[in-house]
Amino acid sequence: MKLSPEIYKEFEEIVGPRYISQDPGVLETYRCMPAQSSAHYGPYWDHMTPTPMAVILPGCTEEVQGIVRLCNKYKIKFKAGGSFWGAMAYIGSDYSIQLDMRRMRKIEIDVKNQLAIIDPYVNGAMLQSEAMKYGFSCNIPGVGCSSSIVASASGWGGVGPSTVCSGGHKENLCALEWVLPNGELLRTGTAGSGDGWFCGEGPGPSTRAFLTASMGVCGEMGVVTKMAMRLYPWPGPAVLPSTGTVPAYKAALPDNFRCYTVCFPSWDMWAKALTMCYDSDLVYLGHRQFNMFGRDLKGAMIRILTDPDKQLCDLEELLSDPEVKRQTEEMKLEFQIVLAGYTKRDMELKEAILQEILKECDAWLSSMMLEPDIENWALLYLIRLGHKNLNYVMCGSYEGNFGLNPNLWVSASYMEEAAAFKKQWEDTHTSIVKNGGDSEMGSFSFTGGGGAVGWEFFVDFDAYDKDSVTGACDFIDETEKWMAERHLGGDMGRSNKYLRQPNGYDWPQEKHNELFSKVPQPHVFAYQWKVREAINPNLLGGSYYRTLDPEMIPENKR
Amino acid sequence: MALKDFLPQMYRCSSCANCKFIPFDKVQSARFSENCPSICYFSFHSYAARGRYQLAKALVEERLEFTDNIVDVIHNCTSCGACDVACKVCRYNLDVLDHNLELKAYAVEKGHAYPRQKEMIGSLKSEQTMIPGMKKKDRAGWADGLKAKDLSKEKAEVAFFAGCKYSYDPELQKIARADLELLLKCGVDAGLLGAADNCCAGRAYQMGFFDDFRDRAEKNIRAFEAAGVKTIVTPCSDCYHAFKRLYAKLGMDIKVMHFVEYLESLINDGRIKFTKQLPMTVTYHDPCHLGRLGEPYIPWEGKDKKILNQVLVYEPRKPRYNGAYGIYDAPRNILRSIPGLRLAEMERIREYSWCCGAGGGISETNPDFSSWTAGERITEALSTGAEAIVTACPWCESNLRSSQAEDGRKLPVFDIAELVLKAL
Repeated sequence: MKLSPEIYKEFEEIVGPRYISQDPGVLETYRCMPAQSSAHYGPYWDHMTPTPMAVILPGCTEEVQGIVRLCNKYKIKFKAGGSFWGAMAYIGSDYSIQLDMRRMRKIEIDVKNQLAIIDPYVNGAMLQSEAMKYGFSCNIPGVGCSSSIVASASGWGGVGPSTVCSGGHKENLCALEWVLPNGELLRTGTAGSGDGWFCGEGPGPSTRAFLTASMGVCGEMGVVTKMAMRLYPWPGPAVLPSTGTVPAYKAALPDNFRCYTVCFPSWDMWAKALTMCYDSDLVYLGHRQFNMFGRDLKGAMIRILTDPDKQLCDLEELLSDPEVKRQTEEMKLEFQIVLAGYTKRDMELKEAILQEILKECDAWLSSMMLEPDIENWALLYLIRLGHKNLNYVMCGSYEGNFGLNPNLWVSASYMEEAAAFKKQWEDTHTSIVKNGGDSEMGSFSFTGGGGAVGWEFFVDFDAYDKDSVTGACDFIDETEKWMAERHLGGDMGRSNKYLRQPNGYDWPQEKHNELFSKVPQPHVFAYQWKVREAINPNLLGGSYYRTLDPEMIPENKR
Repeated sequence: MALKDFLPQMYRCSSCANCKFIPFDKVQSARFSENCPSICYFSFHSYAARGRYQLAKALVEERLEFTDNIVDVIHNCTSCGACDVACKVCRYNLDVLDHNLELKAYAVEKGHAYPRQKEMIGSLKSEQTMIPGMKKKDRAGWADGLKAKDLSKEKAEVAFFAGCKYSYDPELQKIARADLELLLKCGVDAGLLGAADNCCAGRAYQMGFFDDFRDRAEKNIRAFEAAGVKTIVTPCSDCYHAFKRLYAKLGMDIKVMHFVEYLESLINDGRIKFTKQLPMTVTYHDPCHLGRLGEPYIPWEGKDKKILNQVLVYEPRKPRYNGAYGIYDAPRNILRSIPGLRLAEMERIREYSWCCGAGGGISETNPDFSSWTAGERITEALSTGAEAIVTACPWCESNLRSSQAEDGRKLPVFDIAELVLKAL
């Protein structure tokens, strides 16, 4: 379906003819195939999100506001996207238009208030590189530095390796400028009272909780056109000193930076060490990163990625190398940390604390990961998070499952059992990559200072192979049953399923009611329903924002 | 490979957006973080490598028919390969540049080419040059009076191949002439190809006219062989890429060197000695076809297979062209050896260099886009504080000379050989 010539002209008058298109070829490229996109939608086979009626690239807040007002006038649904990696950026219904935010990319560093005021297209690499010039860095979500910071902060979780030190995006969110779904412009916090951008809570209206929601508004609630994001200190050089032969880039940072892979004899000790890291404010970055390649493959994969002449075809040979085997076994249960010292004494203290943790937890440091080239590669990897499409290196797609977000000790206690369950599936089915069962990875914490963790197991599958895609789906179904039997809540892979229908379209409210009336805390979603009713009366954004009609709250929970 | 053979890649591309940026590990500023002139100029996602996969998928699956705009999307790509390098930082089973080129070839095969492209190909066929309006009879005029051997009559160690741009552009002819004079002065046994000196047709390949490229290339290879050529030295990066990569794929077994490689060896051998100071700060622009696309061709015949259930690999090992081993150091070593000269690097260099905008025939088919792309490079060059920008490709030189920065400023543009000559 196309926009009528009259309506098209109205949109065109807002942005100019150069920045609007309804050419079928252009529209086709603003569709998402579920099996391609992990973050997070599929896997489904051979369906694509609907075709938008037009794609529009606004250049400023006023243009966004004009577009949204027109959408309300004609009841046209809309969705804004930046990198177009995540599936939530794409429209989910007919009679919709797609906003591409790439023209809005300003960054202003407010040194005095230690924050950045950014436009929607600004991604992690852009912001971090600008912040470093002033001695700051920013939280980069685990999905990688190619993703939009505004989208991550307002639309999704915004959690990554640095979160334990810097706080997540939700915590760092200060004032913002927001074109509401009805076209009204709202400036929150201090921006709403004309007092700058330093505070999200006021003086001025505070709506941060509306926006960040239980999991972010996922692009359903209008368009955030400007956002102030708190930065945190960066005790390193103004430019990351990236050297090496592509793709084995590495950064030799000053002595006040170290990257360690800390290894453990048991999950209990692993969890204990994490809590000690929380308690001691030890780490600058903390992640279980490279286990995403799998318990059996990570050593070989790191050898490949740090050698410009190696490829995936070297995997089998490396896997049979006794030394690589030993090194991989040595770091069977591990996590990566980056220490950053603000002074020489601070670094000495941190090293001493680490030694204490090693002693207390019977832990050791991976010798392979201490090789200078590998340590410098891992440092760059974790600080910039610029290699995140290694998520797809094996065969093109992955889905996260066994999404364990609770208390550290709860998740750690199930880790080995979950790994064995996955390994068994890998051994008996060929649909997913056989990597040793445990491919669990994730960040130290969902919040600054430590606390609830966010882990997922990487399930790699081939988006071009129907059997692989459907097999991955089957495995995720099995995981859900496995988790339900253990009262672990809904699986991450399956919660993604509830974001859209398998045909790429939005779920209707009835489906949300069915789902969210069964959750332990339905009031959360009933409250979100009220928020949506208040500021998005025409339901123009899609259905990623999870809502429950308050009338559908079960009797026993009212 | 036909376009439909890229279908697995179209599915396996993960839409990660890395193809729009220089490798993220290399980003030093937001301003110069992007790598693709096409999406930067045209803005729509369709113009990035990811969008091209998506577009091609719909064409191959016959869900879409060509429109004028689709033809624009397909052909407005400089074929610079920056997306390919960025993608391959993480992916081992996608070849996005090969796909972009195949998509162009698909459009050409279906009859969707620009009139200007057809004019260029017409000129290639009639006058053996892709610069319309130029005549074969005038091609060797730049070398009039030079005492170089005529390889149609006698043998020489080196065949100097100026290429179309140096041969016909009045502004640039003097550089080709100086290059050859320098070689002769250094005692190099160099000659010219005479009648066998024709367009390399590399730009035909870059525009998706694969058949016309192959036709010209095979004729050239036969002519080179007939002349007994052992080594080709060319100052043109487009020609270098055509000979080094594309002709090699067609079976040509002749050593190919860019002029900067030869020049570096002459300096290292002491056959070139500098006597003058050149007190200036310059920045160096890596031509795409010398740098990231300048890696040598490695023959491969094989197939893909899966290991560990679903991991995609190639058997036998497939050469991985990701810009790791392009020609980057030779020109920099030459510049650093010139007394008094200071080299100030731009943010986007080597394998992640920003294109000058002339590639893919864009300087002919869409001069505005081409000029804007060059202007971006001038802006970046000015940000280093350099007094001039130096490069090693006539197409880059011409494009950069005729463009200006976003603030309207211009910057002197030198061929690297010009600076060498100034310091002798």
